[in-house]
Amino acid sequence: MGDPFSNLKNSLSKDFEDLSFSEERKNAVRETIRRKQNHLELQYWKVETLKNILDSLQEEAKHGYDISTQLFRKNESSFKSNEGQIYILLHLLENKKIITSKWIEGKKYYSLTTKGKKYAASREHPDSKQLNSLKNFIEEASL
Amino acid sequence: MAEPEKIAIDVNSIENTEQIIGQLMDNYSDEVLHLVYSYVKDRTTAEDLTQEIFIKCYEKLGQFNNKSSIKTWLYRIAINHCKDYLRSWHYRKIKFSDKIWDYIPSKSKHVEEEIISKNVADSLTSAIMDLPIKYSEVVFLYYYEELSLSNISKITGVNSNTLKTRLKQARKLLKEKMKKEV
Repeated sequence: MGDPFSNLKNSLSKDFEDLSFSEERKNAVRETIRRKQNHLELQYWKVETLKNILDSLQEEAKHGYDISTQLFRKNESSFKSNEGQIYILLHLLENKKIITSKWIEGKKYYSLTTKGKKYAASREHPDSKQLNSLKNFIEEASL
Repeated sequence: MAEPEKIAIDVNSIENTEQIIGQLMDNYSDEVLHLVYSYVKDRTTAEDLTQEIFIKCYEKLGQFNNKSSIKTWLYRIAINHCKDYLRSWHYRKIKFSDKIWDYIPSKSKHVEEEIISKNVADSLTSAIMDLPIKYSEVVFLYYYEELSLSNISKITGVNSNTLKTRLKQARKLLKEKMKKEV
C-alpha cells in the first residue's frame, strides 16, 4: 500500500458532509455587498437629501461640517446617526462632477460646478415635478 | 467535471462584482467553509468567518491580478482571515472563557457542537484537527483540497521544502496518534 493517508479525503469528506455554506449565508453576503454598492450609487440617496445639499452650496462654498449643520437645521435625517456618511455622498457628487472641492487652510470646501448650478438654479418651485427632474438629472449624471 | 478555476474575472466591470462573488460562492463556499472549520473548529464561527471572507473578496476584487488563479487568491484571503481571527483579542478571550467552562461539569454543551464532535469522533478528522495549525493546514490543503505543494506554497507563503518537511512530520504525528487509539 502506498500512502496510508490517501483515503484521508474520503474520511474528511464524510465528516464534513453536513457542513455546508447555506443559502441564507450566501444571501447575507449578497445583501451586504448590495448595501455597500448602493452607497456608491446616487440612486440610493433620497432626492430630498441631494436637493438639500445642492441648496446649501448655492450661495457659497462650504466645508463638510458646515453643510451637515445646515442639513441638520433643515431636519435632514439621513446622516443623523452616521455623520460620516455625508462625506461618502459628497465624494460621490464630486465624482459625478456635480460639485467640486478645494482645500483652504486645511479644510475641504465644496462648491457647485456648472452642472450642479444648472439644477440648483431651478429650485424655486420645489414641487414633486422638480424632485423628479432632479432624479432624472442625477441619473443622467450617473451615466 | 467542469473547471471552476476558469471563472472569467473582469475586474474592470464593477457591475460584475456581485455576480463574480456569487459565482465564487457557488463554486467554492463549501470548500472554504471546511477550510475555515479546520482552523477554528467551530461551526458557527466558521460560517461567520466564511461570510466575512466573501465580503472581503468583494472589497479586494479590484486588487486581484490574473497572475494567480482566483481559487488560489480566494484561499489566501481565507487563510489570512482565519489567522487574523485566531490572533485576535476577541478569540483569545472567548477561548479562555471556553476553557473555564471545560472545568465546570455541565451537560448542556451546544447541540451543534455535539453533532460535529460526534461526527468527527473516531475518525482521522479529529486527529488532524488536533494537530498544531502549521501541520493541520498542510495536511488539509494537500489531502483534502488536493492542492499541489507549489500551490500551497503560493497560498500560505511558506516555502515548498518547508511544507514537505511539515507534511512528513504531520504524517508521523498522525500515525502515532492512531496507534495510541487502537
